[in-house]
Amino acid sequence: MAPRQGKVFKLAWPLKTIIQRSAFLALISLAIALLFLGKANVGVVEKMRTSATDFLAPILATISEPVDAFHKGVARVQKLTSLVEENERLREENARLLKWQAAGRTLEQENENFRQLLNALSDPLVLPITARVVGDSGGPFVRTLLLNAGRRDGVRVGQAVVAPLGLVGRIAEVGERSSRVLLLTDLNSRIPVVMEKSRHKGILIGDNSSLPQLDFLPTNAKVAPGDRVVTSGDGGMLPAGRPIGFISSSSDRGIRVQAYADWTRLEYVSVLRYDLPGMSSPEMNPGDLGESRLDAK
Amino acid sequence: MNPTFAYQFNRFLRGSVPFAITVLLALMSVVPIGISGYAIVTPSFAAISVFYWSIHRPYLMAPPLCFVLGLLSDCLTGAPLGLSSFLYLLIHAIAVSQRRIFIGKAFVLTWFGYFLIAFIIAMLSWIIACLYSLAFLPLTPILVQYALSLLVFPLFAWGFGMLQNNLLRLT
Repeated sequence: MAPRQGKVFKLAWPLKTIIQRSAFLALISLAIALLFLGKANVGVVEKMRTSATDFLAPILATISEPVDAFHKGVARVQKLTSLVEENERLREENARLLKWQAAGRTLEQENENFRQLLNALSDPLVLPITARVVGDSGGPFVRTLLLNAGRRDGVRVGQAVVAPLGLVGRIAEVGERSSRVLLLTDLNSRIPVVMEKSRHKGILIGDNSSLPQLDFLPTNAKVAPGDRVVTSGDGGMLPAGRPIGFISSSSDRGIRVQAYADWTRLEYVSVLRYDLPGMSSPEMNPGDLGESRLDAK
Repeated sequence: MNPTFAYQFNRFLRGSVPFAITVLLALMSVVPIGISGYAIVTPSFAAISVFYWSIHRPYLMAPPLCFVLGLLSDCLTGAPLGLSSFLYLLIHAIAVSQRRIFIGKAFVLTWFGYFLIAFIIAMLSWIIACLYSLAFLPLTPILVQYALSLLVFPLFAWGFGMLQNNLLRLT
């Protein structure tokens, strides 16, 4: 079972042990040094990490393909059993939504008229980049996602990432063809938000728990469970008015927010390319369409 | 006698199985599988693999390989770079120093060994992560991850044992 042991090997035994020991210690110190370098935000460490994810993202995308297919299959079978009820429910919902649509159209037109009367500036165009989620955090220390879109697709650090139901997080690292999303539940996530009704502004602070904390609200702000929280657009990196979640609890220990996003079913997300003319540099947030691979089509 | 190239290549391929398997497991642990909360408490498959092979084939799971595996899993998960490398190296060192106790004994003993070592590693990783982020991180997900890793350990040990008997008998 042991490796072949020749004469030389036996003679060199103590030497080999010493080399092995010191190699082990060197590696341990290297790991600790990497931790410190990473903490100090040294560019090399981040570059190493992004190039590694660039290399790994296609592999992960391939591995996750059969898992996705399996899920779709299961969902399909589940749906088959409740086809009639589902159809009935959708019919009712459709009727209700059509009414809403009519109301929405009227309001939109009215809003537009008011805007023109007031000569108000409209928000810049928001361009979504749809990306597939190829990896999740896979551990207890960080709340992140790995996407298969990167710099060449127009993704930049700081852009908002939204799922169909609401904001998910922001882009934290970008590689050439992959990027990492810092979820709004992560310890390092800070998102400028506003209460939809009262218009009080605050910061949504993640703390690795499933319910991020809402802080820095004005002291006179009144919050009640169920109030909607949306992005405020402060800082010019996120478009304003995107839904995030609702207040789930408010006590002396802090205000907690339940996000709308369905964390378990994040297959595709949209990265919002958003440009405030004159406020964001093209390096950070390209408004220029020519740069993106998506527009070649 | 000089072994032929084909023999050596075969030997190399077989020898790289533990490393390759661990890489695959590290990749598997970040694939989204759509179970609520699973992403946070995914068992550390790679750590199990490092532990097993450090006991049964330490020269195929040498410290440099542990280091590289750690870097890989940190890059994948987005954890502080170097954290997993440090932990895997520790697992390797502890497992190698204690392997005489585990080799040739009942499986339950190995499981118990993993129970102890994984607990030390979980606590240590929690402390390092807290220091790194200068904040008090919730401990529950780490304990749940530890418990899940402990539960899946026999399954992986069985699979690795099969591999070891079939592919690595010569190495």
